[in-house]
Order: sequence, then C-alpha cells, then structure tokens
Amino acid sequence: MNAWLLVAPLGVLAFAGLGIMLIDAFSPGRAELAGVTTTALLMAGLISVVALLSGVDPGELPRSLRAFIAVDHAGLYFDVVICAGAALSALLAGGYLKEHHLERGEYYVLLIFSALGAMILARAVDLITLFIGLETMSLGVYCMIAYRRTSIRATEGALKYFLLGSFAAAILLFGTALIYGATGHTDLAGIGNVLAAGGADARLVLLALALIVVGLAFKVSAVPFHMWTPDAYEGAPTPTTTFMAVAVKTAGFAIMLRMLITAFGDPLSASPETGWPPLIAGIAILSMIYGNVAGLAQTSVKRMLAYSSIAHAGYILVAVAVSYAAREQAIASVLYYLLAYTVSNVLAFGSLILLGSRGKEAVTYEDLAGAGRRHPLAALPLVIGVLSLMGFPPTAGFFAKYYVLTTALSIGGGMVWVAIILVLSSALGAYYYLKVIVFLFMKEPQAGAPKAVPMRSGYVAFALVLAGYFVIKMGVTPEPYLRMAVDAAQSFIS
Amino acid sequence: MFWEYLPVFVMLLVAVLVAVGLFVLTSSVGPKKMTPEKAIPYEGGSETTGAEGLRLSVKFFLTAILFVVFDIEAVFLYPWAGLFSRLGWIGLVEMLVFLSVLGVTLAYAWKKGAFEWEK
Repeated sequence: MNAWLLVAPLGVLAFAGLGIMLIDAFSPGRAELAGVTTTALLMAGLISVVALLSGVDPGELPRSLRAFIAVDHAGLYFDVVICAGAALSALLAGGYLKEHHLERGEYYVLLIFSALGAMILARAVDLITLFIGLETMSLGVYCMIAYRRTSIRATEGALKYFLLGSFAAAILLFGTALIYGATGHTDLAGIGNVLAAGGADARLVLLALALIVVGLAFKVSAVPFHMWTPDAYEGAPTPTTTFMAVAVKTAGFAIMLRMLITAFGDPLSASPETGWPPLIAGIAILSMIYGNVAGLAQTSVKRMLAYSSIAHAGYILVAVAVSYAAREQAIASVLYYLLAYTVSNVLAFGSLILLGSRGKEAVTYEDLAGAGRRHPLAALPLVIGVLSLMGFPPTAGFFAKYYVLTTALSIGGGMVWVAIILVLSSALGAYYYLKVIVFLFMKEPQAGAPKAVPMRSGYVAFALVLAGYFVIKMGVTPEPYLRMAVDAAQSFIS
Repeated sequence: MFWEYLPVFVMLLVAVLVAVGLFVLTSSVGPKKMTPEKAIPYEGGSETTGAEGLRLSVKFFLTAILFVVFDIEAVFLYPWAGLFSRLGWIGLVEMLVFLSVLGVTLAYAWKKGAFEWEK
C-alpha cells in the first residue's frame, strides 16, 4: 500500500484541481482559491519529499502503471521542484490578480492542471505519456498567458506561443512516430534496448532524434527555438511568467534527460562524434551567447528576465550535453540547477510584482529608479534574486553554475571551450543584472515620471520569504540539496 | 511489401481520376447560362445581408467544444462496453473515475452558464 505514495502527488493535484473547479462554480468569489491551490501544491510536494526520504519499493505498484509513469527518485525530485515552483507562482497570483482586478477562479484551475501536466511530462517513460503530459501542461499555460483578455500584448504573446507551440508539438510527434517506426517500441527503455542492440536504421534514428530535440528545445526556450519567449514572457501576467520560467522549463529538461539518457543512450546516439552531444552543445552555446547579448539591449526588466531565461536554458544544456560521459555528475548538476533556478526566479519575478501596485506597475528599469531607497524592504528580494541569477556567492545560483562548470571541465576536450563561453557570457550577463541594482539604489526617477508604488499582499510576501530563504540556504549549505540531486540522478541511470 | 499495398494505390488513383474527371467533364460538356441569381453570393438559400467579415458569437465555439468533450466520452465508452467482461473490476473503476471527472466538468460548465443560449 505504501508504494502508492510514489504516485500520490499526481493524484492529490488531480483531485485538488477538480475540487477547485467545484468550489469556483458553486461558491464563486467566496473562497480563497490562491490559498487552497498553494496548500494542495505544497501538500503534493511534501508527499514527494516523504516518498523520497522513506525509500519505498516501487515494485509493489502494478506493472501497467510503471510502464507509463516513472516511479523513481528522479520523478519525485522533479515533483518537488515543479510543486515548489507552482505553489510559489500560485502565491504570487494570489497577490497579483487581486491587485490588478483579474481575480477569477479559472486561473488556479489552469495553474494546478498545468502543474499536473508538467509532473506527468517529467515522469513520462512512454511516448504516449510524454505527449499527454506535454499537452496538458501547454494548454493550461496558453490560457494563463492570454488571461488578461483586454490586453493586446497578452493576446499576441499567447497566440505566438500557441501557434509555434503547436508546430513544435507536431515536430516532436513526427520524431516520436519515426522512432516508433524504427524500433517498434513506445516505451523509452524498450527504444533504448533496441538501439543499443543496433537493431534500427541509423539514419532514421538520427532524424527522429533531431526532430525530438527540436520539439523539446522549444519548450525550454533554447536558441534557435526561442522566438516566442520575450513576447510571451512580457505579455503574460507576471505569475504566469514565473510559472513558465520555472515549472515548464523544469518539466522540459526532465523529459529531455529521460529521452536522451534512457531512449537515446546507446553508444551511437550518445557519442560526441555521431550523436546528440554536439547538437545539444551547439544549442547551448547559441542560447548562452544570444540570451546574454540580447538581454543587454532591453529596457524592460520583465523582457530582460525572458532573455535571462534563454541564457539559463543554455547553461543547463551544457550539463545536459556532457551527460553522455559524466552521467551521474551531469544529471545531478542539471537537477540542482533547476531547483536553484526555480527559487531565484520566483524571487526576481515576485519582487517585481511586489514593487508595483495597480496602475503603478514596475516593468522597466526606469520604473525601478530610486525604488530601492524609497522602499528598501520591497527591493531587497529583487537584489538577492538578480544576484542569484547572476551566480554571485553565497546564493543558490552560484553553486548551480559552479557544478555545471566543474562537470563540463571534468570532461575536457571541446567541452573546455564550452565552459569558457559559459563563463564569458555570464560575465556579460552580469551587466544587465547589476543594472537592476544600479537603478534601484543609485538613480532617481525623471521629473514628472510616474513612480512605482509597492503593493501590500501577504501572499506575495510569504512567497518571497520562502523563496528567499531557500536561495540563501542553498547558497550557504548546498550539500543536502546536492545529495538529494545525486540520489535522484542515480535512480535515473539504473 | 509494395505489392501488398498496390490495391490501395489503385484505389487512390481511381478516386482522384473520378473526382478530376467529373470536374473536367461538367465544365467542358455542360451548358453555361449565367443569370443574375447565379451571380450573387450563396448563403444558405436566403438573401445576403451585412458585411462579409462577420463576427461570430463565442457561443458557437463553446457549444462546439462542449460537443467535442462529451463526444470523446462516447469514443471511450463504446470500446469499454465491448470489452466490459474482460476488463473486470479494474475496468469498471477506471471508467467510473473517468465519468466522475466528466461529471465535475459538466457541473462546472452548467453552473458557469455554458449551456444558456440567451444571456
């Protein structure tokens, strides 16, 4: 019976989502849906933590379930990261939507089902589950971007993301169809076995691999599949942007790792000469350089954070690219990075929400001018957030980058050059992160310019305290989190 | 491999030939008499009114989406009913879970007013 703990997080979210739908339909406007949603997500996350620590035997679960959903520690780890990201986004939404008169129950329903889809995607061990999870996650996110119906920018962002997302899903689907045709399997382990035995047409496999990588690179907003990112990130309500940057990205990297390691882990596909490592490394280099260079030119902080998210996708992809050799270390550094990135991003976006009230939003650098001196307490989380995204010690972001860097260096060869690009491009990125701090504390708003006024919200404050605690904690004592990541990585390989 | 599928290709070829042939035949052999009635745009037999860039009410899309949702239910129910005895208790429980999820969505759509045509 205990083994059901391993899939309980998914059940809790599905149940909570339906419950919130009913609450919203039968007593609209009376219940604190943000609180209910956050509680459900935190509960699902806690169950995952308990399941991680208790070490129950997944063998007790029926085979028909295990054939579609991963019940390993990596799956639980992704549950924790996605639930944490979604719960913090729900808290931010609780403050943001009320402040901007957007409070409607649908948002939380979409959020919770999107998080469920992300968790299914992160746990997919079959091509069918993969697609169901991907679409469940994406459909909710499209609606959450277009949530501010009267805003043209929100509609534009949502439409761009929706159209390109449909194409990316079709490309991914084509890739999965080809790999099914080449191997006759839809389960990732089965595909891996056939490929390892050399029983498939190598050209067909390479084509399928390329198509699948394109589809997944789109979801994690890596260059050159990033075109939608700035518009969608900027147009969306900020809690949605947070959710996209943390939960969607985490799920995307989870399934990318599962695909590359479990299905395409054979010597031919995972070789630095003929397989995916150079492809992923190339995408990583492009993302790092493009994200950081384009980020320099932005005047909107929200848009800058969108480019920063492209650059971070590049950093994570460096670790994914080396996972063909230093498997355990590389996967662990991806997992650690995702957790660190989640809390840092919530801190940055959350404090951007906190710094603006209705009609007096803080979106551009100019809006932030002098805000740090006028409202030091509201600006503090933004400072910690951008420092962590920059990779400044002692924050979570520092160790995240450090582990990726040491992993890349341990491989040697061409990867040293990728590591050098990582360091140089993140030094470039430091400029636009530090610009936020400069505007907060060293500039004054231009005469007559509207001043951003912080909003008051217990939800947002709570989310910032939680995220801030973990950003500092993971930066001072990274060991327990790293151990968790290593443990999850081991279950990935075996 | 190829010869097994030959009838399919022959079938496709015949279908294309018949479709194209009929078009060519009617346009080349048939008489053409242009009358003013034939020149006006056709709209369901009634006379055309208003601009051509017509805005459709979102109600139609809502109805279409609801139809799809509950049509999928039928798609799942038929094969399940056919295999009812072989699927046993697990099949029954799974179908009940599926139906109760749909029940919740039905209650949601109803309460939110998705079924009210005039509002």
